[in-house]
Amino acid sequence: MMLANNPFERRLQLAGIFLILGLLVEAFCLVWKGPLAFLLFLGLGGILLFAGIVVYLFSLVSIPHAQD
Amino acid sequence: MTVPLTLLLILILFCILLIAALFVRPGATITRAGKISAFLILFCLPILCMSMGVSNQLERSTSTEFCLSCHTMEAFGKSLHVDDPSYLAAAHFQNHRVPAAEACYTCHTDYTMFGTLHSKLRGLRHVYIYYLTTPPAPEKIKLYTAYNNRECLHCHEGARSFESGAVHNSDADLLPAIKANKKSCISSGCHDVVHNVSTLNNVKFWNGEK
Repeated sequence: MMLANNPFERRLQLAGIFLILGLLVEAFCLVWKGPLAFLLFLGLGGILLFAGIVVYLFSLVSIPHAQD
Repeated sequence: MTVPLTLLLILILFCILLIAALFVRPGATITRAGKISAFLILFCLPILCMSMGVSNQLERSTSTEFCLSCHTMEAFGKSLHVDDPSYLAAAHFQNHRVPAAEACYTCHTDYTMFGTLHSKLRGLRHVYIYYLTTPPAPEKIKLYTAYNNRECLHCHEGARSFESGAVHNSDADLLPAIKANKKSCISSGCHDVVHNVSTLNNVKFWNGEK
């Protein structure tokens, strides 16, 4: 699937990719029981979700608003 | 309160579907409603899922099953089934003086303001030792610090059997010393047989409960 040409929309899509990956890791770790799942959940899942949210927030402030 | 796992997984799936829809149609965020939806989908829902997931994982990490999932802990799990009331951990586990499903955590957490956090940090250290170094043999595993009576007193303080027990009152200084953590509950001559995993080859086991 192609990313959008518009920089704002492209960043939204990038945030979406990170968030979907983070949520998939989270779901996987919730099904898999054990100490490593706990670490993976906090480590990889947390980082991916954090990255997704940061990219989304960054997209809000980095693109000049149409009305500006 | 922990959300049931199935409900949490459904929420995560729902969140993934919404993000996927936004991924396919990012142009939908042009309108005000689209912007609000994007904020909910890309910010609020993932944070909600993550926090509920963390809560679920933390709750799960207090389970006996979780603690005993490491091979090194097997002997300690076995010691809970020793058919001898002098084995402190076994007596507590078998008589439900601690919740059987959270037996390890109940005795090995710190009953302080940040006790749960300290327990998790110790757990991380355990994981590091287990996966990245050579874990010691079960009989060589020791507590990082001396066992604090505070953990015992969390349940036993004020209990009749503890406060009025003949042995505890045999010496007027004993109970105050126990409560001040000056005399350890598991000191020699008192409740000094706890897990004693090195003796498990010579004991009988009770199989009344898994």
